[in-house]
Amino acid sequence: MAVITYSQAINQALVEEMERDDRVILYGEDVAIGIFGATGGLRERYGGDRVFNTPISEPLIVGSAVGAAMMGLRPVAELQFADFIFTAGDEVFLKAGMWRFMHGGAYTLPLVVRAPSGGAGFGPEHSACPEAYIMHSPGLLCAVPSTPADAKGLLKQAIRLDNPVIFFEHKSLYGTRGEVPDGEYVVPFGKAVVRREGDAVTIVAWQNMLRRVLAAADRLAADGIEAEVIDPRTLNPFDRETIIESVKKTGACVVVEEGYRTLGVGAEIAATLMEHAFPYLDKPMRRLAIPDVPIATARHFVDRIVPTEDEIYREVKALVG
Amino acid sequence: MTQLLRDAYRYAVLSRKFEDRIIHMGMAGEIPPTLHPGAGHEVCQTAALAALGPDDKVLYSHRGVAYMIARGTPLTAILADIANKEGGTNRGKGGVMHVVDVPHGVLGESGTLGGGLVVCAGVAMALKRFGKGQVVAHFFGDGGSNRGTFHESLNFSAVQRLPAIFFCENNGWAVSVPTSESTSVPDIASRAHGYGIPGVVVDGNDAFAVFDAMTTAVARARNGDGPTLIEAKVVRLAGHYIGDPQLYRPDRDLAAQKDPLPGFAEALIEAGILERADLETIDAEAQAEVERAVAVVAAAPLLDPALALQDLYA
Repeated sequence: MAVITYSQAINQALVEEMERDDRVILYGEDVAIGIFGATGGLRERYGGDRVFNTPISEPLIVGSAVGAAMMGLRPVAELQFADFIFTAGDEVFLKAGMWRFMHGGAYTLPLVVRAPSGGAGFGPEHSACPEAYIMHSPGLLCAVPSTPADAKGLLKQAIRLDNPVIFFEHKSLYGTRGEVPDGEYVVPFGKAVVRREGDAVTIVAWQNMLRRVLAAADRLAADGIEAEVIDPRTLNPFDRETIIESVKKTGACVVVEEGYRTLGVGAEIAATLMEHAFPYLDKPMRRLAIPDVPIATARHFVDRIVPTEDEIYREVKALVG
Repeated sequence: MTQLLRDAYRYAVLSRKFEDRIIHMGMAGEIPPTLHPGAGHEVCQTAALAALGPDDKVLYSHRGVAYMIARGTPLTAILADIANKEGGTNRGKGGVMHVVDVPHGVLGESGTLGGGLVVCAGVAMALKRFGKGQVVAHFFGDGGSNRGTFHESLNFSAVQRLPAIFFCENNGWAVSVPTSESTSVPDIASRAHGYGIPGVVVDGNDAFAVFDAMTTAVARARNGDGPTLIEAKVVRLAGHYIGDPQLYRPDRDLAAQKDPLPGFAEALIEAGILERADLETIDAEAQAEVERAVAVVAAAPLLDPALALQDLYA
């Protein structure tokens, strides 16, 4: 198994799928250079007909992906920052999410919107992790890969699916390294993975929060608290079953997310547990999330509002210690 | 051209009679009154569509049903979509606003006005890549031309030389707002200059002129020379919706409107394409076709509400 970065994993996924299927095209703002490194070199390799820069026109980027997909292409469109989902709100939520439905299933919309999310220091309009909005909205599949292996396998799968996928790439992960399986593979949507087994508490987290949770879990283990850490990998489809089964074993659940607290993914998980695992919960459900404020630019402000490893450690210990 | 324009007239008449019947049934409560009448636009719409080939694609606007009729969608399917009956095209999901007929190149409509422009650019992107000389025409209104999507689509389509025709039906009214209050220029087509593409103003009541303008734009698109913006000045003979009292429209504005359909007939007769006796036959056949469709849909069952949960994912 090779060790590569998250960014290289995305690049590999794009190369492999473009080699495999000439209906795959790739475009967005600055994709020819790839400002986060994921798409560099692809225009040279596949030509300007298949890989091209667009104007700063987010509605056009996503809306044209819908049009191209309904004609049978498999567009991979990039929004340079996930926050631009709101710039292209009509096209993401109403066109990609609803056009197939609204037109009675007359066509499929096999498109992927890649959306770099999260991070610190980018300011309120370039830092969000808006996956809860996507999870809330019918018609949009949602991937949140946490490792290079998943980034590659989920993106390859996303390109092959016949439904629109919003594919979140966390900006803090682009440079992280990990083992990637040799040869051809995809990662299925809707299958969570248990990143760490334990019986004291279930912690659900993904992407950058998963890294912090795993670090905090090591410290908790040193204190004799074995946390079970679940990475959902996709939020639609969402593997509720794995979380429910884990909570049946641990009796406690903490969700750590980089989104806003109110009606975040943690709220959905809490409701799911109330509906399906209520008798098994020994402790109140806990959510660690951004306290409903925009993400300021100052990095030490970000550390104040985004859950940190220390905060996760303290909160989990207070809950089950 | 002769046959194409004769057909365009037939489709325009059929559309008018069909819509009159739909409005009547809507007002009587027999079907949901969801149509945005196309009266006054049909001549322009059917003449423009006559310039497309069977493999070309169409994205349309909400004003009426002439688009689908001219592409060959059966009346029964359109009426079933309005009536939420079996036999329609979108299975209760989109009503008359989202009639879709992929085999006839009818790809659908954006509910948000002007929202289809960016989708159209993507369709054109695909057609260009397929390299078969197909084009896509997107119909939208003067109101839709004020969306940011208009700018993004025309700019991008021009940069990429996409095979698209952006066809603006300017009837002077966006629901209740006149263009004088909403639009910075008298001719929306003049905005084309900002994108370095041809912008053509045409009298939308003159089927021959519309057909010519569209034919030129289609040839340009097929030839790989990029998009054209056509603006057809048309009249909105009816309200925005069924039962719209149009209190916002001055009497003089309403009085100045002239139904283009009789003029189209006269022009066809003058050109020797139709005989006067043909008009009655066309009218009678259209009315009979409408009544047949009404009878078929009246007998069709309501859609199963279980369909409300279907068609979201492939």
